Amino acid sequence: MDSRYEIQRRAGGSGFSGGSANASPALTGAQSRRKKMPPRPADYKLQIIIIGSRGVGKTSLMERFTDDTFCTACKSTVGVDFKIKTVELRGKKIRLQIWDTAGQERFNSITSAYYRGAKGIVLVYDITKQETFEDLPKWMKMIDKYASEEAELLLVGNKLDCETDRAITRQQGERFASRISGMRFCESSAKDNFNVDEIFHKLVDDILSKMPLEIPSKELSNSVLSLQPEPEVPPELTPPRARCC
Amino acid sequence: MNEEYDVIVLGTGLTECILSGIMSVKGKKVLHMDRNTYYGGESASITPLEDLYKRFNMPGSPPDSMGKGRDWNVDLIPKFLMANGQLVRMLLITQVTRYLDFKVIEGSYVYKKGSIYKVPSTETEALASSLMGLFEKRRFRKFLVFVANFDENDPKTMEGVDPKKTTMRDVYKKFDLGQDVMDFTGHALALYRTDDYLDQPCIDTFHRIKLYSESLARYGKSPYLYPLYGLGELPQGFARLCAIYGGTYMLNKPIEEIIIENGKVVGVKSEGEIARCKQLICDPSYLMDRAKKVGQVVRVICIISHPIKNTSDANSCQIIIPQNQVNRKHDIYVCMASFPHNVASKGKYVAIVSTTVETNDPEKEIQPALDLLEPIEQKFVSISDLHEPTDLGTESQIFISRSYDATTHFETTCDDIKDIYRRMTGSDFDFAEMERTKNDIFGDAADQ
Repeated sequence: MDSRYEIQRRAGGSGFSGGSANASPALTGAQSRRKKMPPRPADYKLQIIIIGSRGVGKTSLMERFTDDTFCTACKSTVGVDFKIKTVELRGKKIRLQIWDTAGQERFNSITSAYYRGAKGIVLVYDITKQETFEDLPKWMKMIDKYASEEAELLLVGNKLDCETDRAITRQQGERFASRISGMRFCESSAKDNFNVDEIFHKLVDDILSKMPLEIPSKELSNSVLSLQPEPEVPPELTPPRARCC
Repeated sequence: MNEEYDVIVLGTGLTECILSGIMSVKGKKVLHMDRNTYYGGESASITPLEDLYKRFNMPGSPPDSMGKGRDWNVDLIPKFLMANGQLVRMLLITQVTRYLDFKVIEGSYVYKKGSIYKVPSTETEALASSLMGLFEKRRFRKFLVFVANFDENDPKTMEGVDPKKTTMRDVYKKFDLGQDVMDFTGHALALYRTDDYLDQPCIDTFHRIKLYSESLARYGKSPYLYPLYGLGELPQGFARLCAIYGGTYMLNKPIEEIIIENGKVVGVKSEGEIARCKQLICDPSYLMDRAKKVGQVVRVICIISHPIKNTSDANSCQIIIPQNQVNRKHDIYVCMASFPHNVASKGKYVAIVSTTVETNDPEKEIQPALDLLEPIEQKFVSISDLHEPTDLGTESQIFISRSYDATTHFETTCDDIKDIYRRMTGSDFDFAEMERTKNDIFGDAADQ
């Protein structure tokens, strides 16, 4: 039998419990247009970052997941801040914001800020390139230093379509992940669209399972602002009145 | 390296990162390097706490009482953002706001005769305030209404005051305002650090008062915003903008030489390789022989385990110690943030005292501020030289930024950015130049 099918069977049984949740947004674009109602706002907004050495396929994995596209000739990513994909899991509508490194990994210059708000971190290496696997401790160091301790971690060995050029065994990947508490492992191919949806859905599922059922409302006095342009406010005559945040 | 760039930028301080972002968005090919392993240069937030101890040559490591080192992000320069100021405008127009979260600073306080008093942010607070007497408050209110309505293009609003000629001292006289009100207006509202403004044309003071009240009107409580995880997040946000538009970033890059031919910069040499450029931007530390020292600032980072006395247990605040309260030429500032801002571990507060150095015992100069913070668990003292470029870049195409000064916000930093932009391009800076020219968010358009 084709050895690729064997791998697929093995991959299907490990790392992930059950089948993949094949999610689709609650309302398709056409439906919402017909109903002329605004789409139901997301129940959760989650920030996911993808990190790893140059060329391992970070952007490809993201694009396969969000756009279902793959670009063979594309080089270092320019022009992408993040991509949004809405999925439905556990009856909740989740808006995923998947951030790109903006090419700053090329010379080990990813900002510490990049790691901050991430609820899920996908750490990618290329199964055909030894050095990308050897780089993993370096990325783990950054995660330990800057990422939230609650962030879910997922290790991905990408480029499974290049099985013949494999340089890192599956066991090596599994062993690396097993040494880090809570880190899951899988192998994927962005090119062949293998295991890509599963990666993100599993990650989101893990994140959701740790989140409280109700999102607690923040105290007014401690409210966090993401600055939005305010409507023109005429300067107050003095003394100015307070406005609640 | 080994490539040709339009602009090479050295140092990842806030000034350099904003310029880098602007250039990249405009379509310039940018190479941005820093000799440090971290972003931010002099405007960085240091993490973990162990690195702060190392930087200040503290013997040993932080004690266990400081909690986890990684919970700390300690600013090197203390500043806040005016909610209606230029930096916020830059953040909004570039949408670097995507990468940041902010909190309003809970209050501003002013030192008077040994105690601190809240700078009123509401009608109620103003009525109750003992910073000025009742009759003074009435006259003060009239003055503020006048300033709010003052329009340089409408003589009816000017009541005979010439914005470019009438001094502020004369304006105060016109409204019969006494010393208390003058001090309050000049130092707590207009945020001057000396009294030199009194004999200058009043228009600058009017603008500053307007900036203060507009900023206060945005979120109430205080006119100041502060980014979670510290000021060091700001340069990183702009660096990301630059990278998205194609900028190349290299940290931990020792700069060996800036190569100049016939009086003009042609490139930068590092680790044996040369990158060529048409223009160069850098902070003074990369080109000390084209900058001059213009003063010194003393900054003392204080870690405390309690809120500051008489601030109603605020978790963030600003304290202004006007110069004439402590027999000095320049005001002393205290900027404080804490655990809720992700700059310290639970139960800890970071208060940074700063002022322009006037004597040869800077630590003694700031003692009145330290007294307000006692007991202090740990102090980190730095005395920094302030630099300005002597070479403005007309021939050399080298554009050197100014050091971060002792003012309490970023207006002067933005002025420097606008000035460098003008020197580089020959045109006046327009905020619209910073707008992202391409879409860089993709995917579901729903609920963006």
